[in-house]
Amino acid sequence: MKNSIKLKTLLAACSLMAAASAQAEPTMANAQAMAWQCAPCHGTNGQEFKEAMPPLAGMPAQQFIDAMTAYREGTRAAVIMDRVARGFTDDEIKAMAIWFEKQPVKQWDKTSLTESLEAQASAAATGGQK
Amino acid sequence: MSQQENKVFDSKITRRDLIKVFGVSAVAATGLFGASEKAYAKSAGHVVILGGGIGGSTFAKYLRFADPDVKITIIEQYPEYITCPRSNDVIVGYHTLDELTFNLDTVKSKYNVNVIIDKVTDADFDKKTVSTAKGQTVSYDKLVVSPGIDFKFEDYEGMSKEIAETKIFHGYKAGPQTLALRKQLLAVPQGGTAIIAPPKNPFRCPPGPYERASFFAEYFQKHNPTAKVIVLDPKDHFTKDVPFKKAWERLYGYKTDNALIEWVSGSEGGGVMGVDADNMTVETMAGTFKADMINLIPNQRAGKLAQKLGLTDASGWCPIDRHSFESTIQKEVYVLGDSTIADAMPKSGYAANSQAKVCAQAVADTLKDRPLGRAIYSNVCYSLAGENYGVSIAAIYEVRDGFIQPKGKSAGVSPITDKPAQPILEAVYQKNWQREFVKDVFS
Ligand SMILES: Cc1cc2nc3c(=O)[nH]c(=O)nc-3n(C[C@H](O)[C@H](O)[C@H](O)COP(=O)(O)OP(=O)(O)OC[C@H]3O[C@@H](n4cnc5c(N)ncnc54)[C@H](O)[C@@H]3O)c2cc1C
Repeated sequence: MKNSIKLKTLLAACSLMAAASAQAEPTMANAQAMAWQCAPCHGTNGQEFKEAMPPLAGMPAQQFIDAMTAYREGTRAAVIMDRVARGFTDDEIKAMAIWFEKQPVKQWDKTSLTESLEAQASAAATGGQK
Repeated sequence: MSQQENKVFDSKITRRDLIKVFGVSAVAATGLFGASEKAYAKSAGHVVILGGGIGGSTFAKYLRFADPDVKITIIEQYPEYITCPRSNDVIVGYHTLDELTFNLDTVKSKYNVNVIIDKVTDADFDKKTVSTAKGQTVSYDKLVVSPGIDFKFEDYEGMSKEIAETKIFHGYKAGPQTLALRKQLLAVPQGGTAIIAPPKNPFRCPPGPYERASFFAEYFQKHNPTAKVIVLDPKDHFTKDVPFKKAWERLYGYKTDNALIEWVSGSEGGGVMGVDADNMTVETMAGTFKADMINLIPNQRAGKLAQKLGLTDASGWCPIDRHSFESTIQKEVYVLGDSTIADAMPKSGYAANSQAKVCAQAVADTLKDRPLGRAIYSNVCYSLAGENYGVSIAAIYEVRDGFIQPKGKSAGVSPITDKPAQPILEAVYQKNWQREFVKDVFS
């Protein structure tokens, strides 16, 4: 009987989640969705360490936040990053910063799929909070 | 698995929780997990991608990120893909086609994607199957179509597919077309003329014709200084026209008597009405132009496959749901890249890659009955106005008021400054992007 109580709790949790899912569109894209958009220049998951554009994987979150904010406010010299950074709010920048900090500090082609999936899952698990 | 069981799985209840609830044998017997990875993969669905170009390959890779177990198949007609990005460079000899040639080997091995090299001929949306030229039938749960563009040769008097393969090349699908243009460019006699005729909006790679015009001018400057490029345009404006024209002034004497580039706008009668391939002449409202080579880039519509499958509307392009890129014409079918109506987003490789990522997450969420996240897209197009002179346009996008629009104050083109470093750095970044981008797509 203990089991069936647990089962009921589990199922109740499920229907709660389903109810939450029927709610309005989220106000912000999640960190992963935003971070993926940076890949064409900074490498898949920010893991390009051999090019002119800086790697984002493993960058300390505060460094990312400071750079993006400065680009956005026009206080840091930029070629195109000022135009890009102006598309993001403080919360969005912070969420990306925390996500990138969790990515492996190595070239993408040296990273296995499993290793990356784990890093992406652990970044997602932070929920964008430190 | 039933819907209910799927929900149980989704809410992150672990196998151990279930064992606690049902006991080991029960869990094995229900086949919830224990069954086997195969059983799960089956219930996770089969996503079939038509076209392994930029949109299709990116989609496969990122769907694997979004769902480690789902079965993914790409059906692509050619064993190798030659990127259009950098193909203008091949025309003038800065790169070779070999450097632009990629395949799906890494997508297949690293991301566990089934690759079928075959031409897709049709689909049956009721039976949820796709058929191919070699007679294969493939079933899908979700279908993703990223077939690129098709040309409207019929918009021009005297033009045809046959002429486009023998005399008047577009160079808008990289490969033999690119090499044919190179051959013609090298053969332009001293003091000769090359015509570039860009299409009407919307079209693949909006800066492409103007980057090409710049490259031709740079080539002539070095090898044939009395020759000239004439751009015959149906439009009065083009993307990045301010920084492009500034570069032409700085580099190629634009608007002077010795200009290496002349641009005839739509209002000046630049739009091409017809061609005479035997006499190498072009008919416009502004008169007849004679040239040594004509690079007519025809008006465009969604790729033939999208038309065949009935995914296009009266505009000739594919309408999609802006949050997921699901076709608004056919449920469970998604369209990506150049073929789509994506509002403010250009038809670029960057955009196709961006859309593929949003769509991959949306497909994974839909398969697992999860709510969709908020869509975010981006585009950066770097072009070269000369080998060491870059110009760019960049934007982040969101869905607002039902359309894909620039987010925040993100949209913008290269500023015109007196700092020589800006265009030089943009050229460095352009080359950096070209190398990096294909890695995000194919490896
Ligand atoms: C000269 C030039 C320069 C460019 N430079 C840039 C640049 O610098 N940056 C940028 O972002 N973009 C650039 N682009 C644009 C970019 O190439 C396209 O926007 C991009 O390729 C679109 O991706 P797609 O997936 O929609 O189509 P594609 O990449 O064309 O992929 C379509 C795929 O579908 C396959 N296919 C079609 N029909 C079938 C069928 N029936 N069966 C099986 N397979 C099929 C094709 O073989 C192809 O592989 C450039 C384009 C040109 C022409």
